[in-house]
This record gives sequence, structure tokens and C-alpha cells, in this order.
Amino acid sequence: MATLPGKRHLLITWGVLIALTVVSMVSARLDQDGWQALPLWSAALVVLVTGFKAQQILLVYLNLRQSTGAWKGAFIGIITLTLLLISAGYLYARLVV
Amino acid sequence: MSQYDQPQPGRPLPNPGWGPLSALPGNPLMWVLILSELVVFMAFFVLYITERAAQLSLFDSSQQQLDPLMGGLNTMVLLTSGLFVAFAVEAVDAGKIRRTRQWLACAAGLGVLFGAIKVFEYTSKFAVGITPETNTFFGFYFGLTAFHFAHVLFGLVLLGLVSWKTSLENVETAAAFWHMVDLIWILLYPLLYLLR
Repeated sequence: MATLPGKRHLLITWGVLIALTVVSMVSARLDQDGWQALPLWSAALVVLVTGFKAQQILLVYLNLRQSTGAWKGAFIGIITLTLLLISAGYLYARLVV
Repeated sequence: MSQYDQPQPGRPLPNPGWGPLSALPGNPLMWVLILSELVVFMAFFVLYITERAAQLSLFDSSQQQLDPLMGGLNTMVLLTSGLFVAFAVEAVDAGKIRRTRQWLACAAGLGVLFGAIKVFEYTSKFAVGITPETNTFFGFYFGLTAFHFAHVLFGLVLLGLVSWKTSLENVETAAAFWHMVDLIWILLYPLLYLLR
């Protein structure tokens, strides 16, 4: 049995996750009227926030922080690779197409 | 004891005897499922982003018809549901079975709310004639979100089952599945609703 995060740690993580969701919604400029492509910095912020949120879910909610560095690296690596591929496709569509 | 089963000083392995999986917390097979699901969804995400690059104006005009606030609301609903499931694991670990069931019920309630919001989104699309066959974007939108929704429904069944057969192992296993559903939505939301 691995050591669980504890209620306080879980609550702090939840607060961070909710706050970051709001940050990603704001950085995606949902407050603006009309539709326009995001500035690159906004898109980058959305991706970074998403990566951090996914990492927190893995490490705290799923308690992967109790595992070895190799497993943490493997799962965070998959998330990072996914976000890198998404970013590459997004940038290609924005800058090349 | 195999090379994988060497405990780190001061920290016993959560699953001794599971070889390379022995260092993973909770049910090791659930981690295999999480890994497979992440790879499957990664493949879908890459397909989506490739098609988006090929049909950028179509994807842009279609994406405008989604409601990112609804998606954001659903993200918060799932994150809160994940918190309640994590509380359920803490409660069952402390031997508080009744409290565990209460947290599981709260989590399932929010899972149902997520489903209701999703159904509302789907019906509002159908009402204006948008279906999965409308175009490639909506094919991906309905396909990916419905596949995820199917996981939510299965997760709800699991939460129900472990509320009935409440043990640490069962609750931990269902919680891991529920957090995986959360994790996939965290990736799905910006891809479909925010990045434009």
C-alpha cells in the first residue's frame, strides 16, 4: 500500500487544477466577442497549463509520486509527447499552411 | 526477489511480486489500461491535428460552433469528481466505509452531471442539424467526446460496483479508472474547444 496524498494535499491540488482551468479559458480569450485565431503565446499557455494539469492528476490524484522515477518519467513523457505532437500540428497549420 | 522488486530505502513497494509493475501504486493492471488508453487517445489526437492542418478553414469555422464555456464547466465538474474519488480512497484506507460510499456517491453524482451537460451539448448540436456526418471536424468532435463519454459511463458503473463491494483494492482500482477519464478530458478539452 502506497502512502496516500492526504486530504489537504488533495484539496490544494484541486484548487490549483480549477484555477489553471480558468487560466486556460482566459488565455484562450473566451471573453472576446467574435472569433479569431489565438496569439501564439496564448496557445502556448493553454498547452503548458494542460501539461501541468495532467502532471498533477498523475502525481497526486493517481498517486504516481509514490512510484519510481522511471514510471513517473514514462507517464509524464507520454503526456509531454502528446502535447508536443499537438503543438507541432497546431504550429504547422498556423505558420506553414 | 527480482531486480524490479528492490525496494527503495524507507519506502516499501506497493505491489511486490509484480515485476516491473511492482512500483506502481494501486492495481498494476489498471496502470496497463491507463497506458494503453493514453496511447490510443494520443493516436486520435495526432489524427485530429493532422486533419486540422489539412482542412484548417473548415475546422476553424466548425470549432466556432462549440461552446468552450460548457467544456470548461465540464472540466471543473470532472476535476471535482476526481477529488471526491480521491477522498473516497482516503476514507476506505482509514476504514470509514460509510464515508467512502458517501464520497463515491458525490463523485458519481458529478459524473452524471458531466453526462447531462454533454447530452445538452449534443442535443443542441442535433437541433441545428449538426451531426457526426456534417464534416470531418464534427466527426472527430462527436467521435472523441462520445468515446470519452463511454468511459465516463463505464466509470459510473465501476463506482457503483465498488460502493457495493467496498474494499481498499476495489476503491483504488475504480478511482484510478476515474482519474484516467479525468486525465483524458484534460487533454481533449483544449484540443477541441480552445486551440484555434
